[in-house]
Amino acid sequence: MMTLLGISPQLLFGQLLIGLINGVFYAMMSLGVAIIFGMLRIGNFVHGAQYMLGAFGAWYLLHLPDLFPGLGLPSLGYWWALALVPFAVGLIGAGMERLFIRRVYDLEHAYGLLLTVGLAMVIEGLFNVGYGAAGQQYNIPDSLKGGVNLGFMFMPYYRLWVIVAGIAVCIATWYTIERTKLGAYLRAATENPDLVRAFGINVPRMLMLTYAFGVGLAGLAGVMAAPIYQVSPQMGQSIIITIFAVVVIGGMGSISGAIFTGLMLGMIEGLTKVFWPQASTTVIFVIMAIVLVFRPAGLFGKETVAAHAADMSTARPDSILENGKLWLVILGVGGAILPFLVYPVFGMKMLCLALFACAYNLIFGYVGLLAFGHAAFYGSSAYIAAYTAASWGFPTEIAILSGVAVATVIGALFGWLAIRRQGLYFAMITLALAQVVYFYAIQAPWTHGEDGIQSVPRGYLLGVIDLSDNMNMYYFVLAIFLIGFAAIYRIVRSPFGQVLKSIRENEPRAISLGYSTERFKLLAFTLSAMLAGLAGGTKAIVFQIASLADVYFMTSTDALLMTLIGGVGTLLGPVVGAVIVVTMQKEFATLGSWVIVVQGTAFVLCVLFLRKGVVGTLEDWLAARAERRRIAAGGEPAAIARGAH
Amino acid sequence: MSAPDNNQADNIIEARGLTKRFHGFAAVSEVDLDVRRHAIHALIGPNGAGKTTFFNLITKVLQPTEGTIRFNGRDITAESPAAVARRGIVRSFQISAIFPRMTVAENVRIALQRPVGTSFHFWRPESSLDTLNGRVDELLDAVGLLSLRDQTAAGLPYGRKRALELATTLALEPELLLLDEPTSGLGGEDVDRIADLIRKVSANRTILMVEHNLSVVSKLANTITVLARGKVLAEGTYAQISTDQRVIEAYIGGEE
Ligand SMILES: Nc1ncnc2c1ncn2[C@@H]1O[C@H](COP(=O)(O)OP(=O)(O)OP(=O)(O)O)[C@@H](O)[C@H]1O
Ligand SMILES: [Mg+2]
Repeated sequence: MMTLLGISPQLLFGQLLIGLINGVFYAMMSLGVAIIFGMLRIGNFVHGAQYMLGAFGAWYLLHLPDLFPGLGLPSLGYWWALALVPFAVGLIGAGMERLFIRRVYDLEHAYGLLLTVGLAMVIEGLFNVGYGAAGQQYNIPDSLKGGVNLGFMFMPYYRLWVIVAGIAVCIATWYTIERTKLGAYLRAATENPDLVRAFGINVPRMLMLTYAFGVGLAGLAGVMAAPIYQVSPQMGQSIIITIFAVVVIGGMGSISGAIFTGLMLGMIEGLTKVFWPQASTTVIFVIMAIVLVFRPAGLFGKETVAAHAADMSTARPDSILENGKLWLVILGVGGAILPFLVYPVFGMKMLCLALFACAYNLIFGYVGLLAFGHAAFYGSSAYIAAYTAASWGFPTEIAILSGVAVATVIGALFGWLAIRRQGLYFAMITLALAQVVYFYAIQAPWTHGEDGIQSVPRGYLLGVIDLSDNMNMYYFVLAIFLIGFAAIYRIVRSPFGQVLKSIRENEPRAISLGYSTERFKLLAFTLSAMLAGLAGGTKAIVFQIASLADVYFMTSTDALLMTLIGGVGTLLGPVVGAVIVVTMQKEFATLGSWVIVVQGTAFVLCVLFLRKGVVGTLEDWLAARAERRRIAAGGEPAAIARGAH
Repeated sequence: MSAPDNNQADNIIEARGLTKRFHGFAAVSEVDLDVRRHAIHALIGPNGAGKTTFFNLITKVLQPTEGTIRFNGRDITAESPAAVARRGIVRSFQISAIFPRMTVAENVRIALQRPVGTSFHFWRPESSLDTLNGRVDELLDAVGLLSLRDQTAAGLPYGRKRALELATTLALEPELLLLDEPTSGLGGEDVDRIADLIRKVSANRTILMVEHNLSVVSKLANTITVLARGKVLAEGTYAQISTDQRVIEAYIGGEE
């Protein structure tokens, strides 16, 4: 039968083996993510970086004499690494929990994810500064060199070891959590911390140890992975998104489910490599989409709990900072003057990203859904606009609109899939779906892979105004920005926007009033994707290029960062955030790889100290000042202050 | 009382064999319950008896493990919570459910807005909803909140929040009103005000209410169902229930 399909057993079993090895890593990693998610309610995005730390830890131990010459340190091999590194990485995890993660337990779940995204950027950024994109070689330990011929295939000992050891670790973890008293305490602590505290157990320490344990698992996986994959700063970044998809597929609340799902998906990925190689990078994400349609709670998950939306908005509706008509005029005038103060191209970049952030804020700020894949809409629109303008000779405005149309359709599809889940799951799902677009863009011939679509003609607006002139182009972009800004203001302050607001404030109540809230969220998500597409398409024309960076998840992260810095759910926040982030990127451009470290640090600092963002903080200050003045003028201290919360 | 006596049994709700299990624990267990049209029907029982869970089943917030629910003779067991609400079953919540950062008037308007049919119209200005203001003010007046219409709801005292919730619920002109402990957490004067209000709005609609305050129950309800440990323990008028030995035992046993 195999020969009928033209596939040799060697290839089939070889790929299945690779798949199984990947599956072991998926299982170990998703186990850690699931434990941390289940017990701490933290979507541990930094898990990939922690895995990378494990691999680098092993590499460091091996190179101790080179790293610290003169100290006479020995070179510690694989087995030492296996014994020491998971503890060291776990210890680092404990430190991170104490310093950072502990501070967000009581906040909206979104902050936990944002914080760990920031930490991942810092750690991976630092290693990138040190080691660049090149991978370090780590040899298989001597004792596990060679292999055994199974007749139908050659089985290297090291791979056999990884499979056996990895599965053993998974089973031991499962046993500890599901079958021992310690595990019972852990599970109880997450459901009812007060009760467990009454038993005389130190809950904060227990949570710290849990986190350290999950991180240690990642470190262990990293050590085991070092001889198989290259030890590189990027190794964790690609795996974490897959892990999130695995967790979504497996479903919450089942440790054995996470293990089984990880192994199974690794094998499916391996099989896909045999039968349809192009699809192997996306198969897990596609399976995730299918599972979401038929079993929204995941294969092994319990009933989905109706979580509420994250209300992170800091706006006061009657504040002067929320007066859209006024600010439309101010931004229009300011925007018109801007190209005389800065380079028009720089100004256009600001405008495109500001529109992108405003579009993102529509779903994150005004609906409270932590979307994490807006790069898919921004980037796909950029590609379509670039392609239709460059290859089909579409007029500029039609090219941009084509991009917008495609982004809208993708947005509706992704939204339809993702809206089934809320909170952190929503973030993981949108992130994973966006990854499908990214991998498609890598492989499709028309997107030209790493090069992207270049030399896109800017064309003529309405066939007359020459857009290759930077000033003309600038005012066109300004007009697009203002239209987008006005559209969002209208959406937020429409009958539809009222319903969105009610959903954000109290979704169960909105449902009990007869609103099918999912449809409202879907429409909002689609509109947000559409406007993100408008920003992306415009950007492709301005810079005359559409590239992988546009669909890469870092672009989604940028949208988040801009919104967060500026002020979530405020009218002006995304604009202010875009100005800050774009300026920061420009100022730090000379730092090269450090930019990502700086951005990650900004993320962490924002989550810890500036959760209201610049505009939200300003808002508070204005409100406090107004209150002081009123009291100074003889008013009563407000018992029922407007906007109190 | 307010209900015009109808000889043939005209039930707005018929629940049959309704059961909800959480991880094997039956919070509601094989409950058969009929609610007569235009009645004020009270559901009482000790803490944890399953009253709120029963409400959640009727309003489809929870999917029953077993059993069926009929509303006006139609099987609604498989419908979504929002669809059930659109059919005319609207509830209040045990812990007041308002939209805290919207104004008092906006809280009521959001309910009035749905039947207008422009709720998906993201291109219309908010001022297109101004036509509802008259009705908003009427409803606020009815619950004594008119003078506070432009306050943010979060700043209201608790009793006022409950009144606001009731106004929002009434705005939908529900055929069946489910009230989960409408007077809980209220002081004496507020209790009387809410009780009067419930009586006032009971004309031409059916009310099913969970209530711990037995004096309110005795004043308002024409039928009372007692729930204990997820099961129906007794049903009847206040006089019948208050002398039922099993009910007294359940309360004494349940309250400890
Ligand atoms: N989502 C849930 N998961 C697990 N158990 C639940 C859930 N909801 C309710 N229960 C349990 O079901 C039982 C009935 O709860 P319910 O809230 O319906 O009681 P109640 O009669 O409304 O009580 P109260 O008078 O205190 O409001 C309780 O033991 C409760 O712990
Ligand atoms: Mg209750």
